[in-house]
Amino acid sequence: MLVFDQLKKDDPQLRFLAISVLGGLLVLLVGLWWVQVVSTKHFQEKLESQSQRTVRIPAVRGRILDREGRPLAENHPSYNVVLYLDAMSQEYQNNYAAVSNQVRQVLNQQAAQKRKELGRDLTLQERRQYAMPLALRNQLSRQSRYEVTSNLVAGLGARLGVPLLLPEKEFEDHYEKSRALPLPLMTNLTPAQVAMFEEQSLHTPAMDLEVQSIRNYPIGPAAAHLVGYLTHDNASTDDEARKKYNYRLEDYAGVSGLEKLYDAELHGTAGSKSVLVNNFGYRQGETLWLPAEPGQDVVLTVDLDVQKAAHDALAGNTLGENARGAVVVMDVRNGDVLAMVSSPSFNPNYFIRSPTPEIRAQEMERWTNEVLQVQLNHAMQGEYAPGSVFKTVTGMAALELNAIDPDEEIYNAFGKPGPGFSIPGRARPMGDTAPVGYYDFDRAMALSCNYYFVTYCGWKPGVLGKAVSLGEALHLGERTGLGMRESVRFREEDPGRFPSPRDVKHYQKGDIANFSIGQSPITVTPLQVAVMISAIANGGKVLYPRLVSRINANEPGEGAQSFPEGRVRNNLGVSDRTLQLVRKAMKADVDYPDGSGRAAAVPGLTMAGKTGTAEVEKDNHKDKSAQITWFASFAPYETPRYAVIVMIVGGASGGKACAPVAKPVYEALLDREKHLAAKNGTLAEMHN
Amino acid sequence: MFAQPPIERSRLDLLQLLAVLGLMLLSIAFVYSAKADAEKAADLAWYHQLFFKQIIWFAIGLSAAAAVCLVDYHTLARWSFVAYWAAILILIAVLIPHIGSTHGGARRWIDLPGFQLQPSEFAKLAVILAMANYLSRPVDELSQPLNFWKALGLIFLPFMLIMKEPDLGSALVMVPAGLMMMLVAGTPKRYLVMLGSGVMLVGALFLVDVFFAPPGWWQVKLENYQRDRLLSYFHMNFARPGATLAEKERAAEDERQKSYQARQAMISVGSGGFMGKGWHRADQIARGFLPRGAAHTDFIFSVIAEEEGFIGSVIVLTLYAVVLFTGIRIAGQARDRLGKLLAVGVVTLIFGHVFINIGMNIRIMPVTGVPLPLLSYGGSSVLGSLLAIGLMQNVHIYRKGY
Repeated sequence: MLVFDQLKKDDPQLRFLAISVLGGLLVLLVGLWWVQVVSTKHFQEKLESQSQRTVRIPAVRGRILDREGRPLAENHPSYNVVLYLDAMSQEYQNNYAAVSNQVRQVLNQQAAQKRKELGRDLTLQERRQYAMPLALRNQLSRQSRYEVTSNLVAGLGARLGVPLLLPEKEFEDHYEKSRALPLPLMTNLTPAQVAMFEEQSLHTPAMDLEVQSIRNYPIGPAAAHLVGYLTHDNASTDDEARKKYNYRLEDYAGVSGLEKLYDAELHGTAGSKSVLVNNFGYRQGETLWLPAEPGQDVVLTVDLDVQKAAHDALAGNTLGENARGAVVVMDVRNGDVLAMVSSPSFNPNYFIRSPTPEIRAQEMERWTNEVLQVQLNHAMQGEYAPGSVFKTVTGMAALELNAIDPDEEIYNAFGKPGPGFSIPGRARPMGDTAPVGYYDFDRAMALSCNYYFVTYCGWKPGVLGKAVSLGEALHLGERTGLGMRESVRFREEDPGRFPSPRDVKHYQKGDIANFSIGQSPITVTPLQVAVMISAIANGGKVLYPRLVSRINANEPGEGAQSFPEGRVRNNLGVSDRTLQLVRKAMKADVDYPDGSGRAAAVPGLTMAGKTGTAEVEKDNHKDKSAQITWFASFAPYETPRYAVIVMIVGGASGGKACAPVAKPVYEALLDREKHLAAKNGTLAEMHN
Repeated sequence: MFAQPPIERSRLDLLQLLAVLGLMLLSIAFVYSAKADAEKAADLAWYHQLFFKQIIWFAIGLSAAAAVCLVDYHTLARWSFVAYWAAILILIAVLIPHIGSTHGGARRWIDLPGFQLQPSEFAKLAVILAMANYLSRPVDELSQPLNFWKALGLIFLPFMLIMKEPDLGSALVMVPAGLMMMLVAGTPKRYLVMLGSGVMLVGALFLVDVFFAPPGWWQVKLENYQRDRLLSYFHMNFARPGATLAEKERAAEDERQKSYQARQAMISVGSGGFMGKGWHRADQIARGFLPRGAAHTDFIFSVIAEEEGFIGSVIVLTLYAVVLFTGIRIAGQARDRLGKLLAVGVVTLIFGHVFINIGMNIRIMPVTGVPLPLLSYGGSSVLGSLLAIGLMQNVHIYRKGY
């Protein structure tokens, strides 16, 4: 063979040459084998990584719907004008050529002048002074890029009739970091602007309209605390971190409320695409690897109209919209929450789309104001002394133990306008809002007579040992779930405080007095009160409140969840007679012309309620602005369906501040029933 | 009846010619592949496209080679000193500003109408011719120191002139060719050992000086880009010791840019894998990562390797092996020492080009502007390579001494 013939040759010098050549070629062969066969994967990856940019595509977020399927949180198309930089590269180059030519001419002229001055050719060193250094060239190309783009943006603004400005820093950042992605020139176009853009056919290869899905809360502040809000999310899940995206398109994550609680379901699964880029980093093509999977819809038990009515009613309370308070509406039969409102509220839309600077500044001030506590959902997150609302429990305990005769009339000699009755071990007497006079159980509830509940129910001497009555009330409270969170799913919830049997062992008369009328140490959330009132109304069933009825599947049979209604947590364990007596007394609260809940009355609806005003002491003085006022009610009296709980901090009294708020809520509930009946009627007709 | 005269055997080395033909066909196919997209975009007529120009150069080169074969190499050798001094003159002319033209900081070309002549390509051949002629004297004379130094001088003069252009690669490939010719000619071993270790010592000192000399010391004058290429080949950090973090970062970025071509060529070659991506399917060209200006010239091998994979690389290496080993066979069968030396010189020269060029694609060699003989696009390179082949064939044809 040719090769071996040469190696065998008898000529040592030629053999040396042949061996050298063969050796050299073998080195190349082995090198190529190493590069092309052994480590080809490494180089293929390198090739891909230098020419592929992976982009994370966020999924369209699932909606949050009310029980009728009306959206509380939805997605709106948002139109943006975007610029594809790859299509601009030619123009950038042209402009750079023009600009750098000018500069070069100037430099050349200067060099020529210098030559004339010296009367000789320039040396290499001298000529270098008139060359364009790299830094200058870079600066020129930066400038020419920005010039071309900002002119384009200004032109676009003129065509659309809005002044548009492209900040140089922003453009440079985008050019350096995300060259393969389109540059947003103008976001959130109004429909008129979209029409103008289409009409004037401003589409060029470089400029286009892009539709983006953006979160929208149709009733804004009315369901802000319940639904929650979103924030820009740039964190990666562990799984995503491994994929190492080059770019992430804007994505959001829930920060509070249901948006946070069900973030995993609402969020969907992000997709990814890869953008092929050339050596300048400009886009050459795109491949969609994995389409994003939209998030699932979450369907609530809340009714949009009732929610709105409750919000409007609370916002229109006597203290104004900045009053701290909450409204909870519950279906007493199954524990469905029909509305949950907290005040003061905020507009969750502002977290997605910035409002005008003035509004923005104002909202920022409100958002961080420690007194307003805008971020708090008072319906669940705040704990408040129940005040006289707790008299329902005290009353039930006393009745259940047959400790009192509901028809017996007790004379209250210490009522208004007197200073109240003295309590052993307490410096100041306990005041009473009820006037001097005779009180049976109904009247004591209706006028919220402290004297009756403290002396007759709490520590009536001789008739009943204090521990017994107290013990029953403790059991009742425990069975109602006081001091415990209501729902397993809803983590944004305060458990409140309720004394344990051990706590009450050393209770003195003063402590029992406070306990009997729902003062410290008891605290509850409005949601807990709603459960409690529902239990009284529905015959003793303590229900789990239900906010979410189901999570819809995107495709049938995949990941759908439903949450059963009317899950019973406990039973009050009191006799029907007791419940009837309490309900009757609560009815008196609204029915009596001088009943404290009179302001809630709605014509055509028999209502039962209990007001409450829990005093808060600050530095040994009553703090009127911090007292907790309540109106806890249910209706209709005969066949109870709804519990409406209103709580306002700093109200004049439960009757004056809270009861009027309940009224429009009941009206909305009646409207809803009419509406539903009409709808069912038509459906029934269709079926016939 | 006369006996049938024996069929006259072909006097050309056909095997070598076939390999050369194969390389030329590959060249046309892959120059087309490397440039077609860009040329289509520029709307060039087919006769303005580079692959066609390459065909023209091959035609001219083959004619020149044929012309070389018409004259016995002894006659050529007699004119070798004319060729040598003519080459030296042109090399000097290139360095004169208004004659030589500059591209990318190097003054290597002479602009002729429709053609840029690169004299170093021809100078290499002239040196080999002159060396062969000089070294073909009786072996005894070669042991005289004066003759040894004169032979060295024959290489040294054009070496320095080409270095001055600067064209480090072209200058360097002459060294092994000259040394190998001296070895084959029978120069005493001790001279060669001395020379070899001398070259190595100077080379080592040169590198140490380039990399480690503190500023202010005397440094070999290298153009910046030469220095950078060497530094990036040896993976040296660009930053001087004691530099701040920002300076180091800038230096690292600098390094990245400086080693760009070599890195991209290696990605091309490596991503081709075993089978390659198919003709005209090189991603590195489509996406513009392989420098467009060099893909069809110095980096033609990475195009072949990416599109045809390891198989393509082996084919290329095999073709070169055939050319080189037929060349060695021609040297072995040569009529006299002149012919043998000519063939050895040409073989070593071609081998040097192949090794440096392919080596730089897999980063066992630094990036130097050395074309791949017969494959790279370029008139001077094609002409020079085919003339070299012509010289070898000449030695083969006239081996019998009619």
